[in-house]
Amino acid sequence: MKRTILTAATAALLATTAHVAPVAAEDVTVTLWSRADRSGPLRAGNIMDAAEQLNRMFEAAGADTRVTVELIETNAKGFDADALDLLKAHSVGETPDIAVAAHEWIGSFVEAEFAANLEEHIAANETMYADIIPSLWNAVKYKGERYGIPQDSEVRMFFVNNDILREMGKDEAFISNLQGRVEAGEFTMYDWCDLAAEAVDSGAAEYGWVHRPNVGPDFQMAMAAFGIDIYNDEEARLQITRSGLQDYYEWLDYCVDNGSLPADLTTWTWDSVHDAFRSGKAMGKFHGIWNVGAQMEAFDLSNADAYFDKLTWIHAPAGEEGGEPKNLSHPIVYVVGDTENKDIAAMLVAMASQHVPNTKHAVTTNHTPINYGQTAMPEFQDKGWALIAGTPMLDYAEFMPNHAKIGQYNAITFMGVQAVETGEMSPEDATAFVIEEMEIELGDDVIILD
Amino acid sequence: MSSATRQATNALVFLGPACLFLVALLVIPIGVDLVVAFTDMSQTLTVDDLTTEQFRKIATPSDEALLGFELRYSFYKALMLTAVYVTCTLTIFNVGFALVLALTTTALPDWLGGIYRAIWLLPRMSPSVVYALLWLWSVDPTERGLLNQVLGVFGIAPINMKLDAPMVLIVFANGFIGASIGMLILTSAIRSIPEHLFHAARADGAGSLSVVRHIVLPHLRWPLSYITVFQALALLVSFEYIFLIMGPARSTMTMAMLAYTKTLAPDIGSGQYAYGAAITLILIVVGVAVALILYRLANMKALLARPRIEVH
Repeated sequence: MKRTILTAATAALLATTAHVAPVAAEDVTVTLWSRADRSGPLRAGNIMDAAEQLNRMFEAAGADTRVTVELIETNAKGFDADALDLLKAHSVGETPDIAVAAHEWIGSFVEAEFAANLEEHIAANETMYADIIPSLWNAVKYKGERYGIPQDSEVRMFFVNNDILREMGKDEAFISNLQGRVEAGEFTMYDWCDLAAEAVDSGAAEYGWVHRPNVGPDFQMAMAAFGIDIYNDEEARLQITRSGLQDYYEWLDYCVDNGSLPADLTTWTWDSVHDAFRSGKAMGKFHGIWNVGAQMEAFDLSNADAYFDKLTWIHAPAGEEGGEPKNLSHPIVYVVGDTENKDIAAMLVAMASQHVPNTKHAVTTNHTPINYGQTAMPEFQDKGWALIAGTPMLDYAEFMPNHAKIGQYNAITFMGVQAVETGEMSPEDATAFVIEEMEIELGDDVIILD
Repeated sequence: MSSATRQATNALVFLGPACLFLVALLVIPIGVDLVVAFTDMSQTLTVDDLTTEQFRKIATPSDEALLGFELRYSFYKALMLTAVYVTCTLTIFNVGFALVLALTTTALPDWLGGIYRAIWLLPRMSPSVVYALLWLWSVDPTERGLLNQVLGVFGIAPINMKLDAPMVLIVFANGFIGASIGMLILTSAIRSIPEHLFHAARADGAGSLSVVRHIVLPHLRWPLSYITVFQALALLVSFEYIFLIMGPARSTMTMAMLAYTKTLAPDIGSGQYAYGAAITLILIVVGVAVALILYRLANMKALLARPRIEVH
């Protein structure tokens, strides 16, 4: 008797399921974690648009699945703070299906079992990713495998105010040859400081040059110019070269001593740093291509010709003559969470990474493209002249390593920058201090070379 | 209701909320801190190991050192900066200046004293970010800064306090706020001194300074002791204005700032939760030691003792 009831119940259940399944619409809610950021509202917007597109496809196919994107818009101060918040959310089980993040956090995301491995997804959807600029894939790799999709890219460089050079008595040939001399390794980091000091001494500029006031990736290109290779790919460990670090700090010390770099720069606010360059008080600034919009406005420039007449872009020059100049690209990436929705989330990312939506983001926020084909698009030709000009610079680009401790590494080397610039320590002392901090705080995560 | 039940209910009603508050906001956090300090918790918030690794980041064993270990430079520096910061802010402003304010404003006519006290309360009432911004504008190193404008009138070249005198800057910024609490407590203490004592002193020919020395100061002993102990502990863990005004500058990296930058502060290599917990644990130990020493020095036991006359 018992068995009969059980069989009947099972049959009834099966019948109901079989009957109901095709009728009930399946709603999938994909959660999207994105920092509210003026420099990229479409990072999230493009995923929302992709979901609408996907829903229209489902409708056309007669499928009942519908995708809703639930946006978790965070208000963290920067990408590092946001990544830490994201890891905290993940640790309490609130893992988002997609996250917009700075690429160097991928190492931490993989270690925390948050980021899904996308190798299979990329291989299965090859046509959707075939045009992505290959070097950008390096930015999403951790231990050789891809855990994210590049969302945008950018290039960081030294901006030079040509009018200040002119006021110093430099001719047009000097200005137009500058980038060439940097690329040939003739114009070094020391020449840069000398030029900036000359600008101050001649009265053409109030400050020689300015860099960011806080910890951040920009410094990596200056370190690279002094021959520091900060990542050992084979061992997936961070790396520092003692002699290179000392050369780098000696250079900063030289810049402060010759009056080209304000000694208290590390106590400035971002606003004062921007203002120093945009109000024409500083000859040079060390920052990224997305500044072009603000610079156009500040200097009242209307087109590409006027812009390049006013400003010159150079890579971070080589540390010594004959060396190689460097710059830095710091892509933002989409990371797919290792959740039950990861397949559909990855499809949304694939759709948002296509030429049209990505160009919409790139040209409105001055970021370089992720696909080669984007530069040929009329919208890009029309509005993205600065980005097209910046794309060849990516040949000299370095990326930040996708190592979980890179934030700490940058914070430690920045302590040395602060100590040298403010005169608290000599370059030798700062080097010894930074190496000691690294040995103790990073332990096995860093290789210390002489 | 039996007497025992009533007593239990009373205890629950009157002491319950305070006990709950104490446990939730003090005992549990200290317990969590104690545990986390002995783990390897970092960005991913996972704990793989129970370890003393965090303390090895603070001190390294050394045979030559007196206590068998040597503090690491950045930690030693943080400890020294904390000592300078707490001592200076406490003695100059939170106690010293508060006393001056209380004495002077109570000597003035009531309405005038009230106005002065209200002015000194303003920093306490303004939001901390606004207060910090006012300081940043005041000490701006260019000729735009208020301080440099004033110096300019006297023909003095602009100075850069953030670079050249960072400790003075944060002592002033914290002191201007800290002085107000002491001022209020001491003012009310002065007001509670029986009026006839002043008249008697005057009748005996005492001048203003003698009145202060022989009548006012002896009455302020307990409030002064209380302010010293309480404010010393508050300053030990305060970092809000240091962070808002100086950012993560090495020149003002006190213990509390160090713990904050290693754990929760944005964009400066934070996320080292266990390391921050270890620093905080040491800060708690230092705090307890300071409290006990001051408690002893100020003879607070006498203040908290039962009154000798029993009042029914």
